[in-house]
Parts: sequence; C-alpha cells; structure tokens
Amino acid sequence: MADQNNIPPVSAGMKGPHKGLHRPVEKPRDLRGTLLRLWKLTKGSRKGLGWILILSALASASAILSPLVIGRAVNMVDSGNPVISILMLLAGLYLCDWFVRFSQQFLMASVGQRMICQIRITLFNAMKKLPLAFFDRRQHGELMSRLTNDVDNISTTISNSLTQMLTYVFTVIGIFCIMVSLSPLLTVVSLVGVGLILLLTRTVTSHTRKLFSRQQKILGKLNGQIEETISGENIVKAFCREEDVIEQFEESNEELCKTATRALIWSGYLMPLTNVINNLSYVGISIVSGVMAVNGDLSIGMISSFLLYVRQFSRPFVDMANIYNNFQTAVAGAERILDILDELPEPQDAPDARPLVSPKGEIELQNVTFGYMSGVPILKNISLKIPAGTRTAIVGTTGAGKTTIINLLTRFYDVTGGRILLDGHDLREYRMKDLRNSFGVVLQDSALFAASVRENISYGREETDITEIEAAARAVGADAFIKRLPQGYDTVLTQGGTELSQGERQLLTIARAMLTDAPILILDEATSSVDTVTEQRIRDAVLHMTAGRTSFIIAHRLSTIKDSDLILLLENGQIAEKGNHAELMALNGKYASMYRTQMG
Amino acid sequence: MKLIVQYIRRHIGSFCAAIFFLTVEAMADLLQPTFMSHIVDDGVKNMDVRRILSYGVIMFMIALVGAFGAVMRNLFASRTSQTIGKEMRSDMFRKVQNFSLENIDRLQPASIITRITNDVTQVQEFINGCMRIMVKAPITCIGAIVLVIVQTPQQIPVLVVILVAAFGMVAANMRLGYPLFGILQGKLDRLNNVSREFLSSIRVVKAFNAESQEQVKFETAARELAGAGTAAMRVMAVFGPLINLTVNLGIVVLLWLSQNQDSMEIGRLMASVNYMTQILFAMGMISNILNSAVRAAASSGRIQEVLEEEPAQKMDDEPITPDWKGEVTFEDVSFAYAGAGNEALSHVSFCVQPGETIGIIGSTGSGKSTLVNLVPRFYDATRGKVCIDGIDVKKMDEKELRRAIAVVPQKALLFYGTILENLRWGRKEATETEMKQAAEIACADSFIMQTENGYDTLLGQGGVNLSGGQKQRLALARALVRNPKVLILDDCTSALDAETEAAVLSGLRRHLQKVTVLLISQRISTVRRADRILCLENGTVQGIGSHEELMATCPTYQAIYHSQIGGGENG
Repeated sequence: MADQNNIPPVSAGMKGPHKGLHRPVEKPRDLRGTLLRLWKLTKGSRKGLGWILILSALASASAILSPLVIGRAVNMVDSGNPVISILMLLAGLYLCDWFVRFSQQFLMASVGQRMICQIRITLFNAMKKLPLAFFDRRQHGELMSRLTNDVDNISTTISNSLTQMLTYVFTVIGIFCIMVSLSPLLTVVSLVGVGLILLLTRTVTSHTRKLFSRQQKILGKLNGQIEETISGENIVKAFCREEDVIEQFEESNEELCKTATRALIWSGYLMPLTNVINNLSYVGISIVSGVMAVNGDLSIGMISSFLLYVRQFSRPFVDMANIYNNFQTAVAGAERILDILDELPEPQDAPDARPLVSPKGEIELQNVTFGYMSGVPILKNISLKIPAGTRTAIVGTTGAGKTTIINLLTRFYDVTGGRILLDGHDLREYRMKDLRNSFGVVLQDSALFAASVRENISYGREETDITEIEAAARAVGADAFIKRLPQGYDTVLTQGGTELSQGERQLLTIARAMLTDAPILILDEATSSVDTVTEQRIRDAVLHMTAGRTSFIIAHRLSTIKDSDLILLLENGQIAEKGNHAELMALNGKYASMYRTQMG
Repeated sequence: MKLIVQYIRRHIGSFCAAIFFLTVEAMADLLQPTFMSHIVDDGVKNMDVRRILSYGVIMFMIALVGAFGAVMRNLFASRTSQTIGKEMRSDMFRKVQNFSLENIDRLQPASIITRITNDVTQVQEFINGCMRIMVKAPITCIGAIVLVIVQTPQQIPVLVVILVAAFGMVAANMRLGYPLFGILQGKLDRLNNVSREFLSSIRVVKAFNAESQEQVKFETAARELAGAGTAAMRVMAVFGPLINLTVNLGIVVLLWLSQNQDSMEIGRLMASVNYMTQILFAMGMISNILNSAVRAAASSGRIQEVLEEEPAQKMDDEPITPDWKGEVTFEDVSFAYAGAGNEALSHVSFCVQPGETIGIIGSTGSGKSTLVNLVPRFYDATRGKVCIDGIDVKKMDEKELRRAIAVVPQKALLFYGTILENLRWGRKEATETEMKQAAEIACADSFIMQTENGYDTLLGQGGVNLSGGQKQRLALARALVRNPKVLILDDCTSALDAETEAAVLSGLRRHLQKVTVLLISQRISTVRRADRILCLENGTVQGIGSHEELMATCPTYQAIYHSQIGGGENG
C-alpha cells in the first residue's frame, strides 16, 4: 500500500530497515544544550534553513489536503456533478505541491551541503590549533572519521529528522482533525490500529537491540582479526600459518553471519506485522465505512478520502520512534564533534608576546620537569646551559626522554615545572609562530605529502624559488636521486612517498629542514634509517649547515655524534653524564661502555 | 555489478524464493484496493451489508497471505544477504592468504582491509535492499499498471502517456545522476586522503608552521565535495518532484475523463486513483536506488579487483624435497620489483655452507632485505635461481620450504593472544619448555617473567603493549621455536641496546651451530660476528669474505667501516 505522496528524502538513502529502531540508542548528555550549540554553528545558513522548514510545513499541508479534495472529486463524479472546478483545485494543489517540494529539495541541496562544509571547516580549524597531546592521545582513524563521515551523517540525520518530525507533527494533527470531522467512529477504529502498532514496535525492538549490539561486537572482533592478519601477512607466510588464520577467521565470520542474520530477521518482522495491522484496520474501516455508507451515514467520496488518510496517519507513529532514536544518536555524535571544538587549543600568544627574529640560539633549561601523564615524570629537574652555535648530542636508551626534550624545545608540549630560556627569555614569552620558525626539524618518521618533490621540500614555505630548493637538495646530497626521478623535481609522490627508499625519503625531509635556514636545527634520529655511507654524506652536510648554528642531534649510533661539542647521556629522565666525547671516554662510565660495545 | 550477480547465482534458490515471497507480499498489497472497489460497487451501491462483510473477510485473508509472504521474504532475504556477505569476506580472505607479497604490495594492505570490511558490508546491504525494496518497486509498479488497466480499461491511452513521461524522467535522472554520484565518491576519497595526511604528519605541520597551508588544502577538498554533493542532490531535486507531479496530474486527468463516462463504476475509479499513487511511490523508489547502486557498484569493483588478482607465484606440480642440510646458493640471481624500472638485485651469486653464519651489510636500498626474501619465496627471482641443497626453491613444496626456514623481520609483528600463543606460531607442536628455552636464548625470558602473568600475558593487536626491543626479542624467540634449518635475521636487533644485542647474538652462536644463518645488519660491529660477510651495493655483490679480507679488498666495505668506526682507528 502506498505511503501516499510521501517519497522519502533522498539522503535517507537505503540504510536497511528502520536502523534507528533496532540499533542500541546512544543518549546525548545534554540534548538542548547541544542543539543550541549546533544552531550557533549554522550561522550563514539560517535563512535557508528557515525556508526549508516553512517549505516542509507547506509540503505536509498539501499532503494533508489532497485526499480530501480527491474524495470530493470522487463524490462529484459519483453524483454526476460537473467536476471541472474541483479538479482545477486539485491540479492547483498538485502544482503547488510540486513547486514546494522542488524548491525545498533544491534549497536543501545547497544549504545542507554548505552547512556540512562549514561545520567541517570549523572543526578542522579547531583541530589544527590543538596541541600535539590531543593527537597523540587519539587514534587517527577515529579523528579522520570525525572530519569526514561523522560530520556528514550527523548533520544530515539531524536536519532530516528535524524536518521529518516537524512534517509528521503537522500531518498527524492535520489528518486527525480531518478524520474526526469526517467520521469519529472510523477515527476510533484507526486509532486502535495505531495503538497495536506501537505496542508491537516496542516488543520487537527491545529484543533486536540486544542482537544488534552483539553483532556490532563480533564485527569489531572480525575486523580486528582481518587487520592484524593482513598487515602481518609476511609473518603469516613465513610461519605457514595461512590455514590457521583462515580457520580462525572463518570461525568469527560464521559467528557474525549467524548473529547478523538473526538480528536482521527479527528486525525484519516489524514491517510485515505492522503491515498486517495496517491492513486489518484498512479492512475494518472498509467494512465499517461500507456499512455506514449503506445506512447513508457516509458518502463514497468520504470513504475514499478516509482510506487515503488511514495510511498516512499510522506511518508517522511507527517512524516517529525510529526518527527520534536516530535523532538522539546523531545528537550524541554531534556532542563528540563539539567536544573537539571544546578542547583547549595551544596556548594563544599573549598580546605583548615577544617577536623573535633570527635569535642567537642560546638555550638554557632551568629545573625542567615534565611528564605526559601527571605523576609519571619523564624528565626530572634538568638544568643545562647551551651556548649559541654549539652542537649538542643527546644519547640514551629508548624511553630515557631524548625526544621529550625536543618536544619541549619546539613547544609541542609545555614544561610542567621549571622553564626553558631562549636568548634569555622563557619560550612561552615568544610568539609561537616565530619560535617554531627558528627551528629546522627533521623527525624520526619521514612525513612526505602527496605532492611534487619540490612542494615537499618547500613545505611550509610555498613561495620558494626552485634554485633555492635545488640548492638545499644539493646540500644534503638528495639532488642526484631527485634528478633521476621521472619528472625530476616535479615528480608527484604518492602519500608517504612509498616509491622512494627510506633513506631517500629521509634525505627529502632533511632537505626540507635545510631550506628553512633556521638558526636552530634539530635532528631526531634523522639518520637512523639511512645507511652509513649516506649518513656520512648527510653528516658532512649537516656539519656544514650547523656551523654557527645551535643544533641538537639525537642518535642511536654513537659514531654519528662523536664530534659534538656536548654529549648528554640521559638516563631515567636525568642527565647521567655530560661532556664531549674525549671527556666521557676518559670518565669511563656508561657512555664509554656503550661506545665500546657499539664499536665491537 | 557482474560480481554481485555471480554471488547471487550461487544462492539462486533462496534468492528466487525471497523474490517470490516478495511478489506475494506486493500482490497482496496490490489486491486490497480492488476488493475495496468491489465493496463500493457491489456492496454499497446495492446496499448489501452481507457482501460488504464477505469482501471484508477476503481482504483480511489476503492481508494474512501478504504478511506470510513478508515474513518468509524476510527470512530468505536476511539469510541470503548475510550468507553472500560471509562468502565474499571468506573468498577474499582466502584469496589474500594465497597471494604472494608481491600481490599484497600492489594492492596495499590498508586497502585490502577496507575492501574486506567496508566494501563487503556495502554490497551486502545493497543485496539485502534488492530483495526488500528495489525489486518490490518494479513489481508494485507493474502490478499497479496492470490493475489500473483491468479496473479502467478505457484509460489506457492516458496511462501510457503518463507512464512514458514518468519513465522518461526516471531514465533521465539515472543518466544525469549516475556520473554525478561517481564524482561525489571521488571527492569524498580526496577529502579522506587530505585528512589522513594531515593527521599522520601533524608534527611536521606544526614544526613548519604549515597549518594554514593544510587548511587551504582541506577547505578546497571540503568545498569541492560540497559542490559535487549539491550538484548530485539538485538533479534529484529536479526529477523527484517532477515525477510526483506527472503521476499526480495523471490522477486529475483520470478523474476528469471519468466524469464523461457514465458507465464507469465509482469503486473502480477509486481503486485506479489508489493504484496511481502506488505507481508514484514505486517510481520514487526507483530513482532513490541510484545512490546506493552507485556505491555498491564501486564497492563491488574494488572487491572484484582482489578476487581477480592473479597470484604472482606458480606452484610446481611435482615438488622435490631436498635433504635439508641447509646449504643456500644464489646462482646469478637478478630481481626487479613489479613495476619498478631498476633491478633491485643483479647477477648475485654466492654460496652459504650448512651451519655457516653469513653477515650481509650494505647501505639502505642496496638490496639486503630483497636478497633474503628470495630464500623463503616471498618473491621469486626474475632471473637465475636460488637453491637450497642444490634444489631450486621454485621446485620445492612451498609449505615445506617455509617450514625449514625461520624469519625475523625488521619490523617485529606479534599477534593478539598470549605470549605463549605467539611463540607457538613458530611450531605448533612445540612444548612449553622448548618455548621457554627459545625465549631465554633471545633474552626475552627475563622481561616476560617480569610481566604480571608471565608467559600467559595477553598481547594486544600487533603487540601494542610491548616496547620495540621487547617485541624484537619475542619475534626472535618465535623464530627459534621453529627449530629451523635456515634462520634469516633481517636487521632484527635494531631496537636493542648494544649490550643486549651482544648477549642475544652470542647466545645464537652458541645454540645454533648447525643452522645456516643469514644475518642482515647495518652495523659493522654486528656483522663482524658472522663467519663471512657479504657486502652489497646497488643490488650487486661488492665482496664476500671475512672482515679482514673485505677490509683489504672491498672499497665499499672500507667506506662503511670508516663511516662507523672513524678513520684511522682499528677496531
């Protein structure tokens, strides 16, 4: 039986039957507050939204009125009266309906997309200002889906369910009034049907919700298995475990199939059963109205209208619960997005923040204490003075806090205790941008972008001349292999630069740091994945570049840092030994023993 | 889409059953207005309450039949779609297990994972939707058309005009909409890529003050996506209501024409009007399917790519078993990765004696890992042959070959499960004592015992709760449990501090006197522990021999030595 004239909106798509009814509902923490905040985000689209709401009200009005007019027309035909005027009215109504629907959907296409785009950009803007700690704490996949799918689903669901709820309220009230005015008795008959449907919905969904949450859990497990196996495929092969992983996989796969089928079957019962009740009340009304018509209490046209109304009347009741659940889940999702907007951004520069132009590069740590989690200090009360233009090497075992010092210098994180001075002023007094511009950084993971080699080297400095880029590449010895690439400097790399060897990737990131011409250089394990011959070349280049610059080098291989002005040996968050190579060797402590084992 | 059909064909019985019951369901729905028209024309017109009641009972029976159809349809549709989903996942997973690493490199692991998880779900929902709504729409549509014709045959010309117009619009909608939804999908991928890149490079973004540059990238992608979305939605906005209007106007025309034909019975007219609205609804459904069909087509294309990927390696029909002494020979071996222009290895020849440890040193990209990957046939040599005990590895049974070899890769990968379960990967029938022994040799026993549950400690996916060095030691222990004839150590001690590394390596020497070991390292200090050293550069052998021999004859080795130990000093 047709859901008269009510073609579901495009974006609702086909996402399985009544998803929101059966899926476990996630309740928002603060429904009203969240909606209010979302409303604030819609600035710029409000006029459009207002129009959409008005148009959907109008659309529901025409949906309510047309069966009445059709009934009248049927009556006219029945009694042999001229129908021309009533048909004109009906045609007019349909034209209005067309116009309203067209403009609503057309408007929605641009307003909706613009709104989503705007929220997305707002979210990205907030995200890019967040401190590194935020990104380190979270899975990237999760954040990514916030930026892309979540924003889309959430705003579509919220706006759709809002318009739909509004339409339904109009429809239910309007139809109820008309039905009562047509025949109170028939209205009672149809209300019985609606009551039964509501009861049925409740019973079925309390059961299916459990099934669906179990399905979700098994799906998570299966996906975990798939991910683990495929990303470790070489090990699976090396140990001939193919049969075993397949067996393991099939077990979960079978379990998923069983649970999902059960959940789907149960949830699928709802529609046909609802339909039975609907048809029952349709039959009931047909009979009652037929009898009434025989008795002359009801015209045939009125029966016709009434039957058209009954369908439209019960649907909102079934859908309402569904829509409301979807709505709640979407609002809860929106709260997760808003949470990101609420995260504390990196500290803003004070209005009187110090500009920093070509600093000398004298660095002093005063009683610096830091921990990523409170109560677990990584660095403990470190004090240290580094004169401008010297080379400092930081060595120590994994977890000793080497990278943490770098994180503090660049203000990826701020100290928990003590302070760090650059040219005699606390780092936090400077403008963040100036501060970071004073560092040329090469990090452990060579981050390359899906862009040309040239763009990758000049990253962060878009308007750099090609000659400068080439000079930087030559300085680190990357020029030769770049020229061998198919399009030289214009070769577009894939994401992560997978077509280059690890050493080549690292060379590009070193060239990138070279190009910044920053007064302070940081190399965090920059040469660990480069072979020793290439490393030698890089080190020569770095030596050349670091002349007159303050530089920090973290390295596993002690050979790399032997000729530093100062070597710091970190142990358990404290400086265990410090001095130059000769001094530390003479000290004959931990460093000396490390050096001897490494040299074999 | 061809793929979807293929899978459906496997379950053609239950699929047809679902469609059959769907038809029953749709027909039952369709018949109701007809009987209503009888109530009006026979019952009401003749003032016959009895007839009204008896038609009512028939309508009720039909409703029950319809419900039965729906319940059965639901049963079959749910089972079929879930089973197809299961089979797709399973087929892909098995296929991937048969891939060589070359196949996996080409398709990329991350992409394979999404294909098995997301894409299958997408297709599964589409198939389920097919058996629920998509097929119902045309059935309802056709049924309603037939019934309108039966009810009011004099209106056929009107009906034809309306239908042709409506179908024309549906077709135009598909025609214009399909490519737009394709573009939309592309823009969505782009946005995904931009965000992924931003998130994974966040340190660099911040260090280089490149936030605004990233923002421009993101905004462009977001705006383009919004633009594509608007364009696609607008097409729907034009056609959806237009189809509505056409059918609605059809109702008006129907009413208009019926007033001039007195013979027409009013009940039939009512039924026709009702059917028109059903046609309208079905038309709307058809154009709505578009979005989901585009997605399913894209997904099924991606699934097909995996299923159609040719395994890069061929098995020999009559494998030969060597006597497993452990002699490894490379005879003029050259190798190039698929799609790469240069050879990663060229004309490599050498021989490792059973029980010998050979160190392999060379710069990054010199071909060290590639070289050892040819031994367990992770890849096959492009030219020349790799032999064990004189027999080409390509002629051996792959399983048997790999059973005799243990690999410790650069990146230590562990799996969800206890430490013991992870060690048992080495050899299923290994005893607990054997595994503990292996852990002791790998210097892993000490830290394992420090964990709360010892060997029963549960490791997270990929062994996330261990440090890099701990993972490497466990991976080594796992390889030792295997009791291999040939042991491949691919720079697997890089995360260990020098002292632990020394302890591990000397432990290996003591316990593995009969095992042939291929030891890759970048450190001179490490390879010096080997019996002989092979020095690689640009995929060619620069020299092979003891440390002293290479120092005397091999310039590449000398260069590496000086870069590590420093000029002039003598080790």
